Amino acid sequence: MATLSANVPDTRIFSGTAWSWITTVDHKRIAVLYLVTSLGFFLVGGLEALLLRLQLSRPELDIVAPDRFVELFTMHGTTMVFLALMPLSAAFFNLLIPLMIGARDVAFPRLNALSYWIYLFGGIFINISFVAGGAPNAGWFGYAPLTAVQFESTHAIDFWAFGLQILGISSILASINFIVTIINMRAPGMTLNRMPMFVWMSMITAFLIIFAFPAITVGLILLIFDRYLSTSFFLPGGGGDPILWQHMFWVFGHPEVYILILPAMGIVSEILPTFSRKPLFGYAVVAYSGAAIALLGFGVWTHHMFTVGLGPIADTAFAISTMAIAVPTGVKIFNWIATLYGGSISFKTPMLFAIGMVAMFIIGGLSGVILGSPPIDSQTQDTYFVVAHLHYVLFGGTVFGLFAGIYHWFSKITGRLMHDGWGKVHFILMMLGFNLTFLPQHLLGIDGMPRRIHTYPSDMGFDLWNMLSTIGAFMIALSIVVFAVNALRSTRSGEVAGSDPWDGGTLEWTIPSPPPVYNFAEIPVVNSQYPAWDAKRGSGHTGADNPTLEHDPNASHSNIHMPNPSYWPILLAAGLVLAACGLIFHQVLILLGAMIFGISLFGWIEEPAA
Amino acid sequence: MPRAALHGLLALAAAPLVIAALTACGTTPQTTLEPTTESARRSLWLLQFVFWAAVAVFVVVEGALVYILIRYRRRRGDGLPAQTHGHTRLEIAWTIAPAILIAVVAVLTVPKIFDDAQAAKPGDLTIQATGHQWWFEFVYPDLGVVTANELHMPVNTSTEIQLQSKDVLHSFWVPRLRGKLDMVPGRTNKFVIRPEVVGTFQGQCAEFCGTAHALMKFTVVVESQADFDAWVQRQLDDRTQPASELARTGETLLASGGCVACHTIRGTDAQGTIGPDLTHVGGRSHIASGVLPNTTDGLRQWLQDPQAVKPGNRMVIPSLTEDQIDALVAYLQGLT
Repeated sequence: MATLSANVPDTRIFSGTAWSWITTVDHKRIAVLYLVTSLGFFLVGGLEALLLRLQLSRPELDIVAPDRFVELFTMHGTTMVFLALMPLSAAFFNLLIPLMIGARDVAFPRLNALSYWIYLFGGIFINISFVAGGAPNAGWFGYAPLTAVQFESTHAIDFWAFGLQILGISSILASINFIVTIINMRAPGMTLNRMPMFVWMSMITAFLIIFAFPAITVGLILLIFDRYLSTSFFLPGGGGDPILWQHMFWVFGHPEVYILILPAMGIVSEILPTFSRKPLFGYAVVAYSGAAIALLGFGVWTHHMFTVGLGPIADTAFAISTMAIAVPTGVKIFNWIATLYGGSISFKTPMLFAIGMVAMFIIGGLSGVILGSPPIDSQTQDTYFVVAHLHYVLFGGTVFGLFAGIYHWFSKITGRLMHDGWGKVHFILMMLGFNLTFLPQHLLGIDGMPRRIHTYPSDMGFDLWNMLSTIGAFMIALSIVVFAVNALRSTRSGEVAGSDPWDGGTLEWTIPSPPPVYNFAEIPVVNSQYPAWDAKRGSGHTGADNPTLEHDPNASHSNIHMPNPSYWPILLAAGLVLAACGLIFHQVLILLGAMIFGISLFGWIEEPAA
Repeated sequence: MPRAALHGLLALAAAPLVIAALTACGTTPQTTLEPTTESARRSLWLLQFVFWAAVAVFVVVEGALVYILIRYRRRRGDGLPAQTHGHTRLEIAWTIAPAILIAVVAVLTVPKIFDDAQAAKPGDLTIQATGHQWWFEFVYPDLGVVTANELHMPVNTSTEIQLQSKDVLHSFWVPRLRGKLDMVPGRTNKFVIRPEVVGTFQGQCAEFCGTAHALMKFTVVVESQADFDAWVQRQLDDRTQPASELARTGETLLASGGCVACHTIRGTDAQGTIGPDLTHVGGRSHIASGVLPNTTDGLRQWLQDPQAVKPGNRMVIPSLTEDQIDALVAYLQGLT
């Protein structure tokens, strides 16, 4: 290994040949791959949103034809949920979990790479549909029987169904990887209640994924059977029931929204203490609330179906469980505010986004309580009130939280800080634009504007709010441009960060930025929740006895062997997705894909693991 | 002042705007803020209760946030703040407080769920509403009335609406009368509406049902018992005989063209059931399922190119000449 100059960050993390990226099994590089790809898809989903908002800016416009509009809102939802937000969270899981627990990589590095390549190819696969006969067009939730072959005879729905299956595989494999890593590879002394809250939230999210995805996996299989093999699971003509699809989808779909929010909550739980210079308030309660939300999250799914006609008993049961889940969610918010209380608060860009997340998530949570009451929901369901709610929690909550994380840990990956002034411009534009876009949508719902409509007449009272909403959407777009320019320029010429620009408390701040490939020269021994603060501030801070970061005396720090790169993950992923293409385009591809899959599996097994 | 605090204040300032807007809106056709039935009032009352409770929580929590951000902002020379880890009693308190608030909302909600689910009584007027891509079929089984897209109901009478679908999911929603209920193929959903105010109310499909989902609307006319009975009598008659030469031409065109395959006009050979019943279409306020006004212009626009008005709908007809359209319009307008 070459020695590094003291001041210039080692940007080898971004250098290296294309081959080195294709065969990487290094969690930090995989994090970068996830980050760049998911931000790319975020732009795609954002463009789709801008087209939707353009079409709806005024009554009875003809900018986007109805059949395109339907594809756009389907793909906007599908892209944002599965190709942007979840993988962006995965970027953070990849970067931070090993660094925060004092490990050198994840438990299964090749599996880690596989998850990424399956995601990338799956995302491309779904989007090919735009030029291969039409994109999915039955909504991101694909309600039966609109997805039946008699109502959609092109392959649009098949792209959606196979695409989601592929992405599900990626998520489940990654979750297994992270759970095993977190359970088994924590540094000595790091008990479960000393690990960073982000790691807690990541672990809970991973369990949620493993338990929730099988529901949609099965649902999609049955849908594919209905479409390809003339079964009637969801078709009343053959004895099936469209409502069965809704149950299966939402048994997955509701935990999915917690999958989307918990990582951002974890990020905020790290940033608020850092920029307040005091620990997270009520660590145990925040952790337990996260677990409670995950558990309860499996018991509320029918609140998406209050208008389906399931009867007052079912509606009552799920109304109560839905309201119950507001309690642990509220508790976390109070704990975050209490973290700020009595602190010494610095308003750097990561902190602004973290505070923005909390402020906006409160609004989203309150509109959720409103929706949780069936008599209210009978008027607001399927209207823009729901669109407003979901964007306050997913954009105001998740997106703001993820941007906070990007600004916060950007320097850990690149060695340079993002420009703080321009970060604040991004924050202000995005905050104003976001609220301008979605606050009026609450009113649109109350005024009777249904969702998923491509136009509306001018005498409905919808005009002003729609125009404001569209202006807000373009402000958001502008803010993203500011962010993108900042990110690209900072990679090259941002202020050099050093290992610890924010005076952080967790282990990732004790190693250089960017970290060496092995992360830790010596695996540290941990005595508290904030080992880095302990090391810097001495004893008395958290009761730890040791003023400096202790190391395991038995650890060897010469000759650290890291896992070898491998080309089997990308090949296996390619085989899998090629086979899926075969199901749509030409059967011979199924054979070809299966062969590549088989060969790669065999090659992988035969390859030495370390 | 730190920017975050400024934004917190902006958010707080927005709240009164929201409230003002909510209360200042006039009566737009599909607003949920002007209910005309007990059920719709129930929904609105609960919304207002939970909304104001939410505003209170918002003011307290966001206010605390803003205050704390200003009060504890980092100042030059600040030392390390007290490293508080928690406060059990406080945490218990702020777990119990939201639980109580939530319990109140639940206690207020549950009885109303059951109120809304009350079944019809025997002898109540029954209307079967069937969703199609993209129009509403209305049948009054006890009265023998078959019509489409415009529903008549007598005021101050409980009417049971039975909801079905011929194809995909739809939803029956007239905000000023009642919250929505889905039309699910293979199942019959039912609810009771007891309108209290005479008037015309707008409804719209509220479950995504394909490309023309935005263009699937209907009208509910609430009228006195006498007017309703008169309307029923009208609907039971066969079609009005065409009164002019032009209209007679229209009837002939309709019979010889493919129209009879999809439409019913009682008293003629048109007995199709794929599209809306047109026997008394001339008396409706709108055509094409609430999308066009039932005027000469509206009818012309529809007949010139139904696909342009409602892309993807099942009415695919050959191009008609202006004369043919004139005749058909005259005929259809006469079908009152």
